[in-house]
Amino acid sequence: MGRKTKITIDYSICGDGNKIDPRECGKCLRSCDPAVFLLHQTVGVKEEDPFDPQIWRITPLWTSLCTRCMKCVNVCPEKAIEVSL
Amino acid sequence: MCDYCVKHGAGGKWYLNARNYSNEVAEEYNLKDFLMEQYMNFEQISIRKVYGFSAVGLGYSLQMPIIGRVLKHFAEKMLHSEKPPKNPFKAEGHMGQVVPLDDGIAILENCAVEPIIEKYCMCRYMYRGVKEACCINFGVMSEIIEKLPRFIPVKEKFQLTREEAIQRFTEHNKKGYIGTIWYGPFPYINNLCSCESPECAGIRPRVDFGIKSVYKAEYIIDIQQDLCRGCKSCVSMCQFGALRFSVSSNRVLIDHNKCYGCGTCIHACKRDALRLVPRNDFPGLKGKY
Repeated sequence: MGRKTKITIDYSICGDGNKIDPRECGKCLRSCDPAVFLLHQTVGVKEEDPFDPQIWRITPLWTSLCTRCMKCVNVCPEKAIEVSL
Repeated sequence: MCDYCVKHGAGGKWYLNARNYSNEVAEEYNLKDFLMEQYMNFEQISIRKVYGFSAVGLGYSLQMPIIGRVLKHFAEKMLHSEKPPKNPFKAEGHMGQVVPLDDGIAILENCAVEPIIEKYCMCRYMYRGVKEACCINFGVMSEIIEKLPRFIPVKEKFQLTREEAIQRFTEHNKKGYIGTIWYGPFPYINNLCSCESPECAGIRPRVDFGIKSVYKAEYIIDIQQDLCRGCKSCVSMCQFGALRFSVSSNRVLIDHNKCYGCGTCIHACKRDALRLVPRNDFPGLKGKY
């Protein structure tokens, strides 16, 4: 089975209405061969506002399929993605 | 015939039974509100927790010894559910099957209820950030999508006549997209998709995790060996890795256990060496959907 892959995205830079809108950038989505990432509206981020249809973020969803090829890390213009080695 | 055909096919294939497309079925289950709620929240369905589990890192949960098997069982039970759907945040009764081009055309000609529309493939948008109009919807579903602007294509015409829908579906199929027909939710059929692996949220659980989220087609590909000259053009069309070029025999080999019967490889063959035959003609593959 090996160690689990951990992918972390810095949401203070990308998504959640911050500097980068993942709908416009989306470079990591396109660079990933097994399509690990999911683009969706934020839900449960702010307690008082659980679902905002205008604010989007990217979640690493199928992490077990990640091969740690680091293409998403290299392609991210803001270096917001981190993948555990 | 699969078990869906036996129960809901009225003697034929389940997806060629016009009753499953009718507005009466949608009304009986009160699906208008249900689908509206579901499609408003479509993108987050995979990250919402169902009984404490969401799809985030699902592959790891499925690798756990006992929990993994229990989880797989409940996931299949949810997708194959035949009870009236309750929770729009779950993919209840969202079961599909691969259909080759001819059956897709038969659906659009005889069964699909107007209005027919073509929307952006949401799977491809969620997983690739690409907007591509290729998902054909019918009936009640079309009325709902018209109220959700993010699904509506900007450049293309999205309200289609029957003939235009057939033309569009044929174009997608020839490009190499897999035709699939979906219950959404059971027993109402409203989606004729042109899918691509690995982005498709319906095909992915089957291919990557072995959860039967989509059935293989009623057909399977067969090769006429003496016609194949080994040009390899069909190999690039197969999204399931079922075709392979054999150097020693200078022809293409088919892995029938991997073939989903979508028939996209036929479009690449210049010598008509490939054809679809009913799955049940092969005793070893009978019933293996």
